[in-house]
Amino acid sequence: MRLYISSDMEGVAGVCAWEQVDARTPHPEYERYRAFYTYEVVAAIEGARSAGATEILVNDSHGPMRNLLLEELPTGVRVIFGARKPFSMVQNGGGFDGAFFIGYHGAIGDADAVLAHTYTPSVVYEVRLNGVVCSEATLNAALLGYWNVPVLLVSGDRTTVDGVRTMMPWVRGVTVKESIGMFAADSISPVAARRAIYEGAAAAVSDRAAARAYDVASPVVLDVQLAKVEQADLVATIPGFERTGARSVRFIDPEMPVVFKAFVATFRLGGLA
Amino acid sequence: MKLYVSADMEGTAGICAWAQVDPSNRHEYPRSQIAMTQEVRAAIDGARDAGSAEVLINDAHWSMRNLLWEELPDDVRVVSGSRKPFSMVYGADQGFDGAFFTGYHAKIGDAGGTLAHTYSDDVLYNVSVNGLACSEALLNAAVLGIYGVPVLLVTGDRCIVRETTRHLPWVVGVSVKDGIGTNAAESMTPEDARAAIRAGAREAVARRDAAQPFSFTPPIVLEMETVRTEHADFIELLPRFERVGGRAVRFAADDYLTAFRAFLVATRIASAANLPA
Repeated sequence: MRLYISSDMEGVAGVCAWEQVDARTPHPEYERYRAFYTYEVVAAIEGARSAGATEILVNDSHGPMRNLLLEELPTGVRVIFGARKPFSMVQNGGGFDGAFFIGYHGAIGDADAVLAHTYTPSVVYEVRLNGVVCSEATLNAALLGYWNVPVLLVSGDRTTVDGVRTMMPWVRGVTVKESIGMFAADSISPVAARRAIYEGAAAAVSDRAAARAYDVASPVVLDVQLAKVEQADLVATIPGFERTGARSVRFIDPEMPVVFKAFVATFRLGGLA
Repeated sequence: MKLYVSADMEGTAGICAWAQVDPSNRHEYPRSQIAMTQEVRAAIDGARDAGSAEVLINDAHWSMRNLLWEELPDDVRVVSGSRKPFSMVYGADQGFDGAFFTGYHAKIGDAGGTLAHTYSDDVLYNVSVNGLACSEALLNAAVLGIYGVPVLLVTGDRCIVRETTRHLPWVVGVSVKDGIGTNAAESMTPEDARAAIRAGAREAVARRDAAQPFSFTPPIVLEMETVRTEHADFIELLPRFERVGGRAVRFAADDYLTAFRAFLVATRIASAANLPA
C-alpha cells in the first residue's frame, strides 16, 4: 500500500500561536513545536505501517516547508522538503493508494479554528471551488482526487476534522484539540496525540476500501476573494482570469491541476500588491 | 491633433547610472526629475509648434510619479502612479493621432545601451514577439498600433533610437547620447537635448501623415527568457504559459493585447521569486 502524507503544523496538539509555527523568524517555541510536529508525523507513519502501508512519501507542507526533524523519521520513508512547489502541499501526490493530512487547520473565516487560514491569509479572504468554500484540506483533496487518490485520515482541531468529514465522510478524523477562537485551544497532550494519531492511521489504512477520491465536477470554477482591491488589480491580469468584483476574481478550466496552479499564482502575485 | 506621450527616464540626456533614476536616491534622482520633465516639456512645445493641441502624458518610469507638474504646461493631462493596466502605454485606447516615446532606453542585452533593460532588469533576460527580440519601444508601439496610433518620435540614446527607427522607419529619432557600455554615455548638454527634442517633435508632428501604426501579425507567440530558473518556475504557474526551457517560457495568443498583458503579469509574478522562499 502506497501512502502520501501532507503534513502541516498549525493543527498539531498544543499549537495555538503563530510564534510556535513561525520558521522564518524562529521563536524559541518553534523548535519545541517542531519536535511535536515531527512526532505526530512519525506516529502517522508507524500507525500506517502497522496496518500494511509499505511505501510512504511525506510532504513537509508548512511555511518554508523544511520543518521536519529528518533524523527523527523512521528509515524507509521519503520526504519532500522545501518551498515553492507548483502543487505546494500536495506536490507529487499522484500514484498513491491513499493520503493523510496531518496537523491540518481550519479555513480562513472559520470560527473556533486555531490559526485558521487558507494558504496566504494576507491575500486570500475566501476561496471556492464550484461555489463551495474551501479549506486547504478540500483544495488539496480536490487535486489528489483528480489523481484518483482518496484522503483517508485528517488530524487537527475539531473544526478542521468536522469540516473535512462534512465534505468527505469516509475520512477518519483525529481531533487533537478543541479550538477556543484563533489563539487558544483545549488540547490533549503531545503523547496522547501521538497515540491517537497512531491508532487513527492504522484504522484509516485498514478501512481504506470505503474511501473515495474527492471529485470536483469539471469544468472547475475557482472563485477567489482577495483581502485588498490592489491585489485583485494584479491577479485579474492573469490570462483567463475574470474580475467578478472589486476584490474578487474567477477562473474556469476543465483541469484541476491548471486551476490549482492558477490559485497558487493568485496568492504569489497578490502577495506583491 | 491629439498626442500621447509615454515618458521614461533612462534615455534622458546626461543619465548613465541607476542611482540617477532610482526614486529612493535623495541626491541624484531629484535632478533627473527636472531633466526628464524638461525634455518632456520640450517635446510638447515642439509638438505644439507644429499644431498639436491635446496632450496626455503617461509617466512611465519606475514609481511612475516622477514628472514635476509645475514645470509642465497647465493644460496637459498626466497619468501618474503605478500599477496601471498596460503600464507604459496605459490609455492608448483613448483616440490619439500619434505618440511620442521620450527618455526611452535600449533593450536588455544590447551592447552600448545605457541602462539597457526591458521592463524588469532583475527578472527578464530576453523577450521576443513572433521571433523578434523586443525593446520596450517595440512592445509598447504594438499596443498603440492596435488602436491605430502611430509612434511619431523617439528620444533616448543612440542604441534605442537606431533600433526603433530600423523597425519603424517613419519615426523621427532624437539621439541625446551615445552609450559607452551600460553605465557611461557621451551626452549632449540638457539644453542642447531640449533644443534637439523640440525640433524633432516639431518635425515628427509635421510628418505624421507618413507614419503608420506598428503591429505584429497574429497569431502571436511571446517568448521570454528569465534571468534565473526560479523566475520561470513562477511564470509556469500562470495558465497558458508553456515551459520551453529551464529559463524559457512561451505564450501563444490570437491577439497582441492578450500577449502583452500576459507579458506584464509574467514579469510581475517572476519578481515574487526574488523574495525569500
